[in-house]
Amino acid sequence: MHYRWKTGMLAWVLFRLTGLALILYLSMHIWVISNLHDREKFDLVMNFLGSWQFRLLEIGLFIAVIYHALNGVRIMIVDFWGGAVHQARIFWILAVIGFILFIAGAYPMFKHTLHWMQSSKGIARHTTLVGAPADSPFTLEAHNV
Amino acid sequence: MHITFKVRRFDPNKEASQAFYQEFPVKTQPGMTILDALIDIKARQDGALTFRKSCRSAICGSCAMQIHGLNRLACETQVEPLKKTTLVIDPLPGFRIIKDLAVDMESFYEHLARVKPYLINEEPPPARERLQSEAEFKLIEDPIACILCASCTSSCPSFWYDTEYVGPSALTKAYRYNFDSRDHGAGERMEVLDNKHGLWRCHTIFNCMDACPKKIKITQHISNLKKMVVAERY
Repeated sequence: MHYRWKTGMLAWVLFRLTGLALILYLSMHIWVISNLHDREKFDLVMNFLGSWQFRLLEIGLFIAVIYHALNGVRIMIVDFWGGAVHQARIFWILAVIGFILFIAGAYPMFKHTLHWMQSSKGIARHTTLVGAPADSPFTLEAHNV
Repeated sequence: MHITFKVRRFDPNKEASQAFYQEFPVKTQPGMTILDALIDIKARQDGALTFRKSCRSAICGSCAMQIHGLNRLACETQVEPLKKTTLVIDPLPGFRIIKDLAVDMESFYEHLARVKPYLINEEPPPARERLQSEAEFKLIEDPIACILCASCTSSCPSFWYDTEYVGPSALTKAYRYNFDSRDHGAGERMEVLDNKHGLWRCHTIFNCMDACPKKIKITQHISNLKKMVVAERY
């Protein structure tokens, strides 16, 4: 069985996929938080999650959140305010808004990741999460490479 | 213009895995429809090619099929404006194939019957007729155009996944009667609608609205039904 892809079907499939990704993220997030009571274990986990690969994934998470939220708005417009006939136009308008939100949010995230990658190459051995004081439990140990 | 038609062939006497695409070269003319081409193929190339047709004027809804990936009526889709040198013709997806392009529509009619697509009004009819205001008629004017061709239901991924789902066509019929000022059957249709195989299987995918040859705002009517059910039950 096959059918040509149209905006509506694309929007629906992406909505499902990002929904699954967010569920996966949420369960991972709860697991990370469950380590809070043990400082050493938490530092270990945060160290692992602080790697640049995970920071790039974080940008992916940001895309999933933006898409899922905006398409949710589209479905509300369709279901509550009779937007069915304009659904494709609404999709593309929200896509533009989503792209602007993505650039605005991902730029600082990406800059931070770049900075992190440079510092982990030996410029700085220790660093902290943005805004966390150096002696807080959120202090991260950089990789000793 | 010379166009190659790739038509899905299925012989009920053979295994389903032996279904295949057969190519037929067709010399087209301006204004020629897909149905004209299929009739031409049946007359000149293969008399065993099976498809449904009747009115040739987009009224009977018999010739719905998948034309190059989209559900369309063969009788109103012209060949040349599609600007293809090869055209792929499939039977409607989501139904059991009987032979070639003819599918088993039994489940489609069963789902339609479940929503009671007829006037339910226990009051004795007045001496002349049950009158409607113009505004009341406007509510149901759009879905009245439905010709039951099954293009919408067959294009719905929710229906492919869940064959118990009543489908966009039956839901549009439910809207047409529930929002008819002369009808009192909304309560009787409630159980079929407020059901996991009912309204809530619609995930606003919009294939149905694209497929409808009568441009019925199917998803909009389903949304109005959703609002009606939520207002009455939740």
